[in-house]
Amino acid sequence: MTDGLGLVTLRQWQQHRLRLALTIVGIALGVAVFFAVRSTTRTLVDSLNSTIEKLAGKSTLQVAAGDAGFPVEFLKVVRETPGVALAEPVTETIVETVSPSGEKLLVLGLDTGSRLELYSEMFDEGDFVVANPLAFSSRADSIAVTRKFAERFGLRDGDKLILQTQTGRKDLTIRGFFKSEGAGEVYDGNVAVMDIFAARQMFGKGGRIDRIDVTNAPGVQIEKLAEDIGANLPSGIKVLRPTLRGEALENTVSSMHFGLTIMSFLALTICVFLIFNSFSISLNQRWKEIGVLRAIGVKRRGIRLMFLGEAVLLGLIGSITGVVGGYFLAMAAVRVVTRVSTTMYGVVTTPQALEFDTRFALEAFAVGMIVSLIAAWLPARAASRLRPILALTNIETRQTEYGVNRARIVAGVALVFIGLALIRFTRPTVGMNIQLFYSVLMQVGMILLLPMFIWYGARLVRPIMGRLFGVEGVIAVESMASSPRRTVATVGALMIGLSFVIAHAAFIQSQKAALDRSLDKTLSSDVLVSSSEQLQGRSYHFSEDVANRIAAMPETETAAPMRVTSISFGGETVSLSAHEMDKYFASSPNLLDFGDPEQARSATARGEGALISTNLSMRTGLGLGDRLTIDSPNGSFELPVVGMLDYFRSQKGTIFIDRALYKKYWNDPAIDYVFIDVKPGVDRAAFKQKLQNALIGEHAFVYTHDEFKAWVTRLIDQFFTLTYLQMVIAIFVAAIGLVNTMVISVAERRRELGIFRAIGGLRRQVAKMVMLEAVTIGLIGLFTGAIMGLFGAYFLVNTAAKVVAGFTITLVFPWWIVLASVPLVLIVAAVSAFVPSYNASRIHIAEAIGYE
Amino acid sequence: MDRIIRFDNVTKRYESADEVVALDAVDLDISRGERVALMGPSGSGKSTLLNLISGLDEPTSGTIYFEDRPLDTMTDNELTLLRRKKIGLIFQTFNLLPTLSAIENVSLPLRLDGNRRRKADRRSTELLERVGLGERLTHRPDELSGGERQRIAIARALVFEPVVLLADEPTGNLDSQTGAEIIALLDNLHDEFGTTVVLVTHNEDAAAHCERKIAMRDGRIVSDNGSNEDK
Repeated sequence: MTDGLGLVTLRQWQQHRLRLALTIVGIALGVAVFFAVRSTTRTLVDSLNSTIEKLAGKSTLQVAAGDAGFPVEFLKVVRETPGVALAEPVTETIVETVSPSGEKLLVLGLDTGSRLELYSEMFDEGDFVVANPLAFSSRADSIAVTRKFAERFGLRDGDKLILQTQTGRKDLTIRGFFKSEGAGEVYDGNVAVMDIFAARQMFGKGGRIDRIDVTNAPGVQIEKLAEDIGANLPSGIKVLRPTLRGEALENTVSSMHFGLTIMSFLALTICVFLIFNSFSISLNQRWKEIGVLRAIGVKRRGIRLMFLGEAVLLGLIGSITGVVGGYFLAMAAVRVVTRVSTTMYGVVTTPQALEFDTRFALEAFAVGMIVSLIAAWLPARAASRLRPILALTNIETRQTEYGVNRARIVAGVALVFIGLALIRFTRPTVGMNIQLFYSVLMQVGMILLLPMFIWYGARLVRPIMGRLFGVEGVIAVESMASSPRRTVATVGALMIGLSFVIAHAAFIQSQKAALDRSLDKTLSSDVLVSSSEQLQGRSYHFSEDVANRIAAMPETETAAPMRVTSISFGGETVSLSAHEMDKYFASSPNLLDFGDPEQARSATARGEGALISTNLSMRTGLGLGDRLTIDSPNGSFELPVVGMLDYFRSQKGTIFIDRALYKKYWNDPAIDYVFIDVKPGVDRAAFKQKLQNALIGEHAFVYTHDEFKAWVTRLIDQFFTLTYLQMVIAIFVAAIGLVNTMVISVAERRRELGIFRAIGGLRRQVAKMVMLEAVTIGLIGLFTGAIMGLFGAYFLVNTAAKVVAGFTITLVFPWWIVLASVPLVLIVAAVSAFVPSYNASRIHIAEAIGYE
Repeated sequence: MDRIIRFDNVTKRYESADEVVALDAVDLDISRGERVALMGPSGSGKSTLLNLISGLDEPTSGTIYFEDRPLDTMTDNELTLLRRKKIGLIFQTFNLLPTLSAIENVSLPLRLDGNRRRKADRRSTELLERVGLGERLTHRPDELSGGERQRIAIARALVFEPVVLLADEPTGNLDSQTGAEIIALLDNLHDEFGTTVVLVTHNEDAAAHCERKIAMRDGRIVSDNGSNEDK
């Protein structure tokens, strides 16, 4: 029997190659995105870890204190701790080279007077070539670069390398080369080494270093040694295994992982719809054949197995194709993700060749098979339950496929409301996966309601289409509404794809609106000077002198300096903003969302209080009046929380303290921003120009208030690059669903179209009808997508933003996107239906009528 | 009598592994107002002949004239309009659009021709009442019996008062009593509208209602009581 059914299936495939191809594309697409997301995420994480490991050399422990670094004096403490074999100080600075390409270079400051045993991968004997060792260590302008970097720019011993430092361009002389291995492999070989003393001077680190790399003496337990070293250091200086630092970085990019994971599930859901669609249509095409098979003695189980067997075979082909396609997709995605992680998180990564991970391939393959079987299950069951007598008679004897099923509507509405209620009333501390489940509830509810939307949507649209497009419009709507098997899946795919786009657009717009409001409150200065073009730039800082020079300008009313760094707080890396609080409050009087501004101003300015962002409050449970303990390289100190504000710089939270306090505890006089209020009547544009001229040589970026907001908006857009990419994929996949449906719709309705032509329907009328059906499906997909997008946006704003980052933002629904989507959907629908409508208009009438 | 359809040495072959000659050099004249029964076993070419008259299919060679105009000189649009306005088609399998109600099925050709819905519905209602389905206007095909469906198909075929009605086994899917009612209805309509009727049938009783009977076999006309020379 199996042979016979296999033969029947094979013949079907030969006759319906297009359907077959579209089904395989559907499966392959879902599997490809799943595989690509897994591989991309893994590659990025591997890349982060490998970067950390390579930079760590052979060290087993690293001593570090956030971005600001810590005093070099602690090197002695570490070295004197029993059990420490080697302890090497390190500074890390990413600087721009002054070259046409503006290439960035990671400059490691190492103690070149030592034997550099920790970094022997780079500096194997004979590989660290320094022509004149004495000159290298005695001259502050000495630098060694990797051979790869040297080759790329044709650099030789003695050549000049110009770097853009904070205090202007600096000419360095190449006096050594080393292997592009170990730390030298990081950042695609864009690595240089200077003597640490020279590096600290050149990059304005003062008496601070970024970390100490440590190895343990033989027989000393690493954990024990970490405890011992930690015991001798202030709490703000942490001793960690390099791998743990990698994990911390993984956390930093966790929201990106979250977005990617959502994307892979989205692709799989749409994939299920496409396969379901295809199998349902296969069922419709094989209606009669199934009747014949049943009539000649094939059992229900046999029919079911025939369909499921087909699903297995298609799943097999689609999954293999998907894994191969996913590999190429991942190659492209890795580049995007690496760029985003570098520009947004300031994380240095090592471009890593994408490795084909067999485990992921098997996982993706299994997912493809399972998804295929799930999607084929209902059509297979429906096929096995066909009544042979009905199947053997003509098409018109088929029952109208459904009315509106009341139980389904009740279940759908209930699920949507339960999902919404859970999202509204669950505390953000509840885990992400559980809250994701609420969103799944809403989605399932909406899917259950789809037939209702189609049914009532058709009733609503029918007279309009009739009025606008005549009888072709009516038939198009009727045809859509009367074949839910065909239509539901496509409307579903469109709904999910468009809802993803709309929900994320709403989320982005809501974030921008919240940020806009926050920037108006927290940054109401007229002009702003920044030391970096990146939000998390860690290499360039101003000296206090810059703020003093700006303050001394005749146009300046106030010049408030600010230092931004990150610290470890409650096991997370949070942002620390050090302001001159008195000036900050003067410049931004509406700063606080919670707390008394006057009291907060005086307490913080005296160094007797801290402000925290509301997301930190939400994450940690800290509130007004609570005391927070801040660890610094000079020990811990406690401050009461005297004010809270919505602030979005860090997903993990922000603490605001007075700069005097920061300087005291971090020994760091550097600043990152200067907020300037100009005197009344001063022309801001002219002042900005004057300021730029005054700061020539400094690595300074001057913005007016509006320009800064625009810059932040651009950064947000950069941050959401991946989301925009996902939106494009979502629309693309939904469009494939529509093409799939229209192609199959024409194939399925051959007979109906034949009748239409036989009784006097012109070719152009047939084409118009098919086109209008696609348009109707598109519009109902958009309508349901907008509703589900609204729910999705509510989820993202209320849950995802709060759970991932603790951000409280107000939902701004992008009606303009919904409206702008109308022409887009119409175009996609028209393009999708173009070939099918042409084919429909060209069918051979006599054959079509006789076709069964 | 005034000639309305003419077949001049018409052959229709279907290309396949074994070439099938569906019609073999057929010459045929049908006059206005005639009632013609086309009879013969399956595969004799009856349905092919009907498809060729309506322009649903094209002959391999020879020429078909409708009201003295060769069909092969007509564009696809002209052929479509011919089917819409001058030829009514009735099929064994009814060939109604399953998604449309009775009145919508009947009014479809009128609406395709640009008539306003109200006017089309009025005309369709008249015809449905005429075929005895005045109470079933808003029913869909799957809610009606076979006989009722065929009545809808007949009403649709007559909606433009065509000069020719082509019926391919109109009683083939009906029980004998319903079949007889349908044939009686066609008789009445013929009397009322004076339409030329070409009826493909296996049913002797149905054929008995036609003055002219043409027998076919293997794509050829083997007898024709309306022709001067029986073959």
